[in-house]
Amino acid sequence: MTSPLQIELKAVNKYYGNFHALKNIDLAVPSGTFVALVGPSGCGKSTLLRSLAGLEETSGGKMEIAGVDVTDMPPRKRDVAMVFQSYALYPHMTVAQNLTYSLRIQKVAKAELRAAAEKVAASIGLTELLDRYPRELSGGQRQRVAMGRAIIRNPKVFLFDEPLSNLDASLRVQMRKEIRALHDRLGATTVYVTHDQIEAMTMADHVVVLRAGVIEQQASPMTLYERPTSKFVAGFIGSPAMNFIEGKICDNGTSVMLEMAGAPKLDIVQKVTPNMPVTVGIRPEHIRVAPSEECDFSLPVTLIETTGTMSYVSLGTAPELSLMLTDRTVFSVGDNIGLVVDKARIHLFDPKTEQAIT
Amino acid sequence: MRRIMMSVVDGKGFDLILVGAALIFLFLFSGLPLLYNILMSFQEVDMFSLGKFFRPFVGLDNYRALLSQPAFWPIMWNTIVFVTCSIGGQFLVGFSLALFFNLNFVGSTFIRGLFLVSWVMPGLVVGAIWNWILAGDFGVLNYFLENLGIIDEKIFWRSDINYSLWAVIITNIWLGTAFNMILLSVGLAGIPEDVYEAAELDGANAIQRLWTITLPMMRSTIGAVVSLGLIFTLQQFDLFAAITSGGPANSSNVAQYWAWELSFRQYDFAKGAAISTLMIFFVMFAAIVYVRSTKHEVRG
Repeated sequence: MTSPLQIELKAVNKYYGNFHALKNIDLAVPSGTFVALVGPSGCGKSTLLRSLAGLEETSGGKMEIAGVDVTDMPPRKRDVAMVFQSYALYPHMTVAQNLTYSLRIQKVAKAELRAAAEKVAASIGLTELLDRYPRELSGGQRQRVAMGRAIIRNPKVFLFDEPLSNLDASLRVQMRKEIRALHDRLGATTVYVTHDQIEAMTMADHVVVLRAGVIEQQASPMTLYERPTSKFVAGFIGSPAMNFIEGKICDNGTSVMLEMAGAPKLDIVQKVTPNMPVTVGIRPEHIRVAPSEECDFSLPVTLIETTGTMSYVSLGTAPELSLMLTDRTVFSVGDNIGLVVDKARIHLFDPKTEQAIT
Repeated sequence: MRRIMMSVVDGKGFDLILVGAALIFLFLFSGLPLLYNILMSFQEVDMFSLGKFFRPFVGLDNYRALLSQPAFWPIMWNTIVFVTCSIGGQFLVGFSLALFFNLNFVGSTFIRGLFLVSWVMPGLVVGAIWNWILAGDFGVLNYFLENLGIIDEKIFWRSDINYSLWAVIITNIWLGTAFNMILLSVGLAGIPEDVYEAAELDGANAIQRLWTITLPMMRSTIGAVVSLGLIFTLQQFDLFAAITSGGPANSSNVAQYWAWELSFRQYDFAKGAAISTLMIFFVMFAAIVYVRSTKHEVRG
């Protein structure tokens, strides 16, 4: 990460009246990076993106794009391109006219327009559709036009605002790959907003998790998965979500006792004060089924959901524990099964601050 | 009878009944008078033959007589000036107001609603109010213009042949602006905000956005507003009656007022009918533009 910073945000704040939408956002994005802003609805991720585009005025802080202070610059001077959730195509223009709109605003010669449109259209598979109107296109095709409109400008930064949320599931998976491939081919700097953590994890180099206007954690996808710094991030990243069980560190400080039937004890690798109450986080994929003599604890099965490749098993305890199995299940609902937890991958959180204990 | 009842019950042919009822109504109350008017324009009509249907056929004599009147061409020119300037003024002011209220500031919806007051007032009342505003000696319009230094001496709007037509045009612009504004506001509201945002990010400034996004996307609305404006303006009679009565010396007379004058003042029904028939062509033209513009609605 030695490349120069393409985007730099310093202590960016945004208020809507009394509502503090963005709180002291600091973000540094090296050139060529794919950044995903992810978080639940209302966390401020779209506000942050729109502030970066200049569509929202910030209430404080500084924003730089490619070394230029853009904090008070109108959107049209920032040289950023945005793909909207609704695509925001110009309905009265053909695909070619949509693609070349920015060039026509820059008064590019007519002869070059068609060539530019054809070049971009060829790169994203729109050649056949250049003379169609947006209303004659499918959702996926509209999505491509919106992307083409961004590509043709060769902007400093690409912004995506939940671009795949209006597409059906299979198309979404395909477009995910295409957008990432496009990013790599153009060597672009991309900021991508999504509420879908899978999109963020699969596409981005750097994931920023937002919650209530605050950056909870920003790191590479695998760091977020393996070392979440808070219970929120741990629960948000990963699917199905992490199991949280209340517990208490034993007198020896090397194991934790879970608050569930049988009060099982698990060895831990973290150094923790003895007798401290903790929240234990265990990912569903880090629990496996074992014969009763080897297991850490056993629980009754309440539900088995099979997708063919995976089985999601719910276990009867409060709160319900879930586990994910890739091999075929040999038990059925009502059976008591023995379980083993991958000790190296147990996460501990302080129940009061919800921060990770390392 | 039973078949008709059945068609209502099982729905078959019910649509024909609905369409038929509307068409019969239109034919009786609009079609027949229209046709009767056209017929009358080719006949010799006087006070004694007024109640008859069959009257001496005179061909194009009424039209020839109209054309030979010295007032004909000035009045036609007045009509063109009145229509163009009224529509132009109503559209420009209405569109500016629509853009202004589209900023959605606090209270904008309420104030926009208040503007409709001018539209719901009867033309004669509007004319009476504007008579006060336009009055030469004590009217506020003169007072306003004098104090701004735009004019040096008072203009007698209603009695000066150079201004009488403009007195009616100004009043008519005031009357029709609200209608234009409301229709155009609806058109503006139909343009999604993100399209503007996309254009802004694509580098377009406010004026470029107006030309490349707003106006093209409002084409059908603008077509509807202008053609309805043409129809309403050609129907505008009250203001002439209330403000200038077409005078002085026909300086503010227009076709529709002249038709009434000929028919109901001079009892020359044939010539009045001839003018009305001529006007039908203009209105038909406007109606065709209107129907076409509403057909070509373009929305993403």
